[in-house]
Amino acid sequence: MDLITILLGGLASGMVLFIVSVGLSVTMGLMGFVNLAHGGFAMLGGYVIALSMQHWGLPFGWALLLGFIAIAALSVVLERLFYSRLYRAGELDQVLFTIGLVFVMTASVTLGIGPTSQSVVLPDWLKGQTDLGFIQYRTYSLALIAAGSLLVLALWLGFERTRFGARIRAAVDNRRMASSLGVDVGRLFTVTFAIGSGLAAVGGGLGAEILGLDPNYPLRYLVYFLIVVSVGGLGRVTGVFFAALLIGVLDFVLKIYFPKGGTIFIYALTLMLLLARPQGLFGKKGS
Amino acid sequence: MTEASSPALETRGLCKNFGALEVAREVNFRLERGARHALIGPNGAGKTTFINLLTGVLLPSRGNILLDGEDVTSLAQATRVKRGIARTFQINQLFRGLTVQENVCIAVAERLGVGGSMLRPAGKRADVIEEASRLIEMLKLGGDAGRRIIELPYGRQRLVEIAIALGLSPRALLLDEPAAGIPSAESHILLDAIATLPKDIAVLIIEHDMDLVFRFAERITVLVSGAIFAEGTPSEIAANREVRSVYLGTALDG
Amino acid sequence: MASFTAAEQLARRHRFQWWETLPWIAALAAFFAFPNYLAFGTQVLITILFALSVDLVLGYAGIVTLGHAAFFGAGAYTVGMLASHFGWTEPLSGLLAAALVAGAVGLVSGLVLLRTTGLTLLMLTLCTMTLLEQAANMGAAWTGGFDGIPGLSFGKILGLFSFDVLYFRSQYLYVLTVLLICFLIARTLIYSSFGQSLTGVRENLLRMHAVGAPVRARLVIAYAISAALAGVAGGLFTQATGFVNLAVLGLERAAGVLIVLILGGYGRLYGAFVGAVAYMVLEHFLAKAYPTAWQLGIGIVLVVVALYARNGILGLAETLRGKRRQRSAS
Repeated sequence: MDLITILLGGLASGMVLFIVSVGLSVTMGLMGFVNLAHGGFAMLGGYVIALSMQHWGLPFGWALLLGFIAIAALSVVLERLFYSRLYRAGELDQVLFTIGLVFVMTASVTLGIGPTSQSVVLPDWLKGQTDLGFIQYRTYSLALIAAGSLLVLALWLGFERTRFGARIRAAVDNRRMASSLGVDVGRLFTVTFAIGSGLAAVGGGLGAEILGLDPNYPLRYLVYFLIVVSVGGLGRVTGVFFAALLIGVLDFVLKIYFPKGGTIFIYALTLMLLLARPQGLFGKKGS
Repeated sequence: MTEASSPALETRGLCKNFGALEVAREVNFRLERGARHALIGPNGAGKTTFINLLTGVLLPSRGNILLDGEDVTSLAQATRVKRGIARTFQINQLFRGLTVQENVCIAVAERLGVGGSMLRPAGKRADVIEEASRLIEMLKLGGDAGRRIIELPYGRQRLVEIAIALGLSPRALLLDEPAAGIPSAESHILLDAIATLPKDIAVLIIEHDMDLVFRFAERITVLVSGAIFAEGTPSEIAANREVRSVYLGTALDG
Repeated sequence: MASFTAAEQLARRHRFQWWETLPWIAALAAFFAFPNYLAFGTQVLITILFALSVDLVLGYAGIVTLGHAAFFGAGAYTVGMLASHFGWTEPLSGLLAAALVAGAVGLVSGLVLLRTTGLTLLMLTLCTMTLLEQAANMGAAWTGGFDGIPGLSFGKILGLFSFDVLYFRSQYLYVLTVLLICFLIARTLIYSSFGQSLTGVRENLLRMHAVGAPVRARLVIAYAISAALAGVAGGLFTQATGFVNLAVLGLERAAGVLIVLILGGYGRLYGAFVGAVAYMVLEHFLAKAYPTAWQLGIGIVLVVVALYARNGILGLAETLRGKRRQRSAS
């Protein structure tokens, strides 16, 4: 395989990592909440998307929208009922609660739908290859790269150019200061939590081709999502973007050249990075 | 070595900035041995920062800190505690899930250097327990010794703060707003406690309650915007027009 | 007078209470009552030791770790590799080696990791463990890679008792004895001034600095000791079962031991015992028959514990006892 092919493959999986993880980064940055169940929202979203296409014949785009809305709604309910009670609790309680939630999600899906993996059937226009002039490449991977790039652009604009985004940035940098200036951090969190979970759902559906989709998805990729978030820096949209691409490409390359345990380098690099810069590559010190 | 004339705690040209913000400016300050000294100043004057500099929580940008004439500027917080600087916090920093007895014992054990001892049960350290009990009695906390901090009213907790600091057997004791958060009806307990502190301990108190300051202090320093604005005996400070206009006016009249 | 009582209470706290013999009597009774379940019983005892090691750092020092299986695995692989590559099958010295290796890994990683706190520390413990797991996966020549090292056999314990492959009788008693020794070590530590200072770190880091305690050194030492105990648990696992594989190092084991400890009640010394027995007995009988329902149940239990019963089974028992005492007093 030549360099371009590898790079495109890595970028495509990096985009999936980004779409899933970005919400986690913002919510962790906002509340310092250790949410290990984030991958669960991606998995549930993937199921909603896959099943609504299989059983109701929903078109791909509508299925994605449905996945987003359904999981965003579910996450609001969970946030109001449970998460909000643990904001002031220690990390241990948050870890326990969210691991418990992952178990519940995984077991519920296994019981209700079955342990086998699901696939998202792509529409015809996303199948096959596209000629880029200098190279023929899988249309779907290219579409993922395009979608991820558009998303980061949209989120960046949302963060930098809207009042809502400015509030989030202020609250990530200094929660107490922001709330004393009249920002309702709780409401902010609920909304970002919903959007983040919805995006994770979309990522679960879009990434089913690459990451697969089965009940064990949340636990399998838990460490990956956490690495992306902590390397990128909490609450940093662009940071998560670059971290996701970095890890996506690195993982892709390592799996080709060192199929046995090559990912060890990712863990070692993350370890060293976090020791040198606990706030991540792009995070601000002290946030 | 230590000269007889050297103060308990002294700063020379102490400066600290956070970026462009100067929170301590050329502070030359002396806390004499056995002194009863108050540090006052409007909110944001840098009083707590000053304590953080003295105790080593923050490192100064420039200047020196001397304890009994010896330079401690670059020493770590723990080493300074061992040398005799103890503090209380503006907001209680206690071991909330532990009893009063345990709270004070932890401090005493650290001072006696047995905090890292692994084999002998803490309960067999009679010296530690007895000294803690003595301090607890001294601050009239005896009735609460077996209760956990979270079960105590805030005013009683403030006394535990002082008991812990005394457990470190300090030569210089820094009290950061000890009466903060205590109903004024109860503040006399605290004042009594401070009045009975051993005379050889130099005490620096940061306080907003001017009643308390003027009853307690033999010397007062006024800090404004990180710099010493005035210093003198209580009557000198009370008579100082500039101090009155900057700070005391409202506090004294109100 | 009340101060005298509080001081006296502190002076008596470390003394053994009559009920502290109960777990050991129960363990011995189980040996005679359930001869067919001793293999399972051995696993329970090993889990108790592992959970006890976690309790030292989590319950007492307040270090939230997601990667303690790193030390369990280090101990397990040390014993496994010594036996398979060097023919070092003497059990007790094997355990000692496991403790030393795991303790050394704990000391080095603790020195580096414990500079951080909170989420970063959580991530770093997780990364360290995954790193070791991947290393064990890659170094197949030494570790057997994904398949691990099967079919290990060990020498006689003290040169007297051989391992009982069928009924696990000698393993059970051997593990029980080692557990007792390790428990006594942990208990001594917890009631010492060192243990008291660890609870100080857990309760208020800022204040601990302000009383002049060398906080980081204390934490690193506690972390290394805890790692060594976890290493012993891992070593026992390899010796008792005769194999070692990647599962000893995984997130599942790390999360599992956390669940056991939380269920029993952390920071309570006996929480590890109650939690391991409750969790593993339930798991043994439910998980095989209804694995998914079991996962669902554990998930719900975790959610409920995190939200309502943070002190686990022992905490609930204490609350109930306190209520009853209040009622009888009024």
